[in-house]
Amino acid sequence: MLTRNELERYDRQIMIEGFGEEGQEKLKRARVFIAGAGGLSTPVSTYLVAAGVGVIRIVDYDRVELNNLNRQVLHWEGDIGRSKVDSVTEKLKKLNQEVTIEAVAEMITDANISQLVAGFDLIVDAMDNLETRYLLNKAALDQNIPFFHGAIYGFEGRAMTIIPGETACLRCVYRGVTAKGKFPVIGVTPAVIGCIQATEVIKYIVGIGKLLTNRLLVYDGLNMEFREFKVKKDPNCEHCGHLTLKEGK
Amino acid sequence: MSIKVNISRYFFGGWANESVVAEVSGNTVGQCLNHLVRQFPAIKKEIFDEDGEVAVEARIFVNGESAFPKELAKPVRDGDMIDIIPMAISGG
Repeated sequence: MLTRNELERYDRQIMIEGFGEEGQEKLKRARVFIAGAGGLSTPVSTYLVAAGVGVIRIVDYDRVELNNLNRQVLHWEGDIGRSKVDSVTEKLKKLNQEVTIEAVAEMITDANISQLVAGFDLIVDAMDNLETRYLLNKAALDQNIPFFHGAIYGFEGRAMTIIPGETACLRCVYRGVTAKGKFPVIGVTPAVIGCIQATEVIKYIVGIGKLLTNRLLVYDGLNMEFREFKVKKDPNCEHCGHLTLKEGK
Repeated sequence: MSIKVNISRYFFGGWANESVVAEVSGNTVGQCLNHLVRQFPAIKKEIFDEDGEVAVEARIFVNGESAFPKELAKPVRDGDMIDIIPMAISGG
């Protein structure tokens, strides 16, 4: 049941056809796990908090550095040296105190991921490396949690939504790992991709629209083009090959 | 037999907003990429790994559909378009 304050606060999105008070109540009940408190996490967490998602857990062990500020706009100059999750939690709570935000300053590992994501309805990939993305993908599949992938580089981005047992997963698209290191990026790129991820999350929770499943969205900011590539579930995928494809998918 | 390969300039040493379109021939993606490498030898180490498999960073699509996981064996026909795009894996 929404309060009078909530009805007023979310009035404009409740007006959207197919959304309504029921959709808002679904958002209020939702528990979203966000892996990372950096460039992608900034727009994802901001818009999910603004939209009224009930519980958001943000996990990141890193601390704010000066070179983060061109894109991680929830971290400000005075936050340099602080834990990233503390920094974003402080601002997000000021944006919407009704949302419960759990800040976890831990590195996501094979040993702790199951416990970290347990009990959450959705997982958002806002990471900066492929190894952790694979861990998240596997955990999402194992625990039957929808997974929202996003990645960026320079002016380019990628996004894809994964529904366990129904669609291609991240491992059906990517193989191997790449070298870690400093990468080029302009802040508007994770802003675009993070907003796409947040859009997918909201659509999934409310149950409206067509999800970005079995499609890899490729964003080219320099040409201002969006392209789509079809991806298929790999029956021999080491992460999801054992999951039965649901009829008609 | 003519197949077009649309390859991001990323594989030519930089991240640019342009692609290079080349005409190649072959019955499989692998044969087409070998033809591509003959035209642009410098990209061999960018799109293939040391074992001769498709490099991790290179994602290959044929007519807009992912060719993963056995990309090199995927058959192609006259008029097909192969896209080679870099994997974007950053985010922080």
